[in-house]
Amino acid sequence: MNRTVLNIIRFIALVVAQVLIVNHIRLGGYVHPYIYLIFVMLLPINIRGWQLLLAGFGVGLAIDLFMGTLGMHAGATTFMAFCRPTIISIISGSQKFENIKEPNVNQLGFAWFLRYALCMVTVHNFVLFMLEGFSFHLVGQALLRILLSVPVSIFLILLIIYLFSPTRKKDHSK
Amino acid sequence: MYNLIRFIQKHHFVILFLVLEVLCIVMLTLTQGFHRQRRINTTNDIVGKIYETGTNVGDYFRLGKINRDLAEENALLRRQLAVVTDTTTSYVEYVNADTIYEFIPARVVNSTLNRPNNYIMIDKGRADGIEKDMGVISTEGIVGIVADVSAHYASVMSLLHSYSTISVRFKESGQLANLRWETSNYRYGIVEDIPTHLTLSKGDTLVTSSYSYIFPENLIAGTVEEPLKSSTGALNRAKVRFATDFSSLKNVYVIHHTNKAELDSLFNNQPKL
Repeated sequence: MNRTVLNIIRFIALVVAQVLIVNHIRLGGYVHPYIYLIFVMLLPINIRGWQLLLAGFGVGLAIDLFMGTLGMHAGATTFMAFCRPTIISIISGSQKFENIKEPNVNQLGFAWFLRYALCMVTVHNFVLFMLEGFSFHLVGQALLRILLSVPVSIFLILLIIYLFSPTRKKDHSK
Repeated sequence: MYNLIRFIQKHHFVILFLVLEVLCIVMLTLTQGFHRQRRINTTNDIVGKIYETGTNVGDYFRLGKINRDLAEENALLRRQLAVVTDTTTSYVEYVNADTIYEFIPARVVNSTLNRPNNYIMIDKGRADGIEKDMGVISTEGIVGIVADVSAHYASVMSLLHSYSTISVRFKESGQLANLRWETSNYRYGIVEDIPTHLTLSKGDTLVTSSYSYIFPENLIAGTVEEPLKSSTGALNRAKVRFATDFSSLKNVYVIHHTNKAELDSLFNNQPKL
């Protein structure tokens, strides 16, 4: 499938799943998982900088339109997109991406992807709660929310990525 | 000029990032103020339609509860109807209330509970006669005030909003006070500005006062859960349990005050002191 078409489908599916399903998860009011971040995380590695930023801004803005928080998610996702090249180069070290098109778990391994997800989701959550801080003045509460939301977000992200992984290992040993 | 273009080309990643972030912060400051001062309309029909579709699916799983709530309300209305048909004195009262306030039924298509400022989206909009600043109630108690309207949907600033203040009255003593939401818990609010001579006890009922023409008088807002001693000693506060359970809100009524335009013009023509 064409990579652009795949990304557009991913965009729509993730935004709809986020606003119709995941936003209704209420675990004590502190847990706010965000699965739409998968869209930015799985964009091609060799994507141009401006495309990456606009994609991040776009998906954040779509979420904002649904949640009535114009600018909040867009700001956080744009920041996350801005940090993505740096995060990838830090956690990869000398690793080369010659045949790898997108930073997915089946090509780069679980350990790499977990570190990647941890960095990306933490950056996003941190900026998001800071932007929310315009109207929310309790710093301790915001930190608690980050601490509880990040693991749940990562768990859901891994779950979804494994469920929809396009190239599963063919195992006919049974 | 050439150098400027070179500079932009070289640093386009950082420059675009800064432009987008500034744009986000501008949008945030324009939309997150007090609802009367919102300058960008964030309620739109496409978003409403998608939420409605999602709710239609979810509703099948909640039919039991919705039916029970509506049956309870029917019972309540039947009791009130019995009062109306029995005694002539209260009949006049009810007719008066009926001519001033119209109730527009609506369905909740989306709501939030655990954000600093919570909104509820309903499936009625300008086409159904909904306007900004109308009150919204449920069968249990008051819910909020319409903040934003599109053609077929409206977003309601619920009591769970940092700018929401409702003028209430203690049912027993008649004392006026202000009800606000301060905690992060969707079940409880704070009632403020209570004179110290008033003794509060758990279970005291708070109803809407006649001073606001957004809500009719005597609608239940909540009950006192725990009186709080004021630190400054001037006015007391109390923790209040909201009458409305915002987590299971489904059917609401938007209140249309038929004489609101008249009241508004009267209020605006008052000589300013």
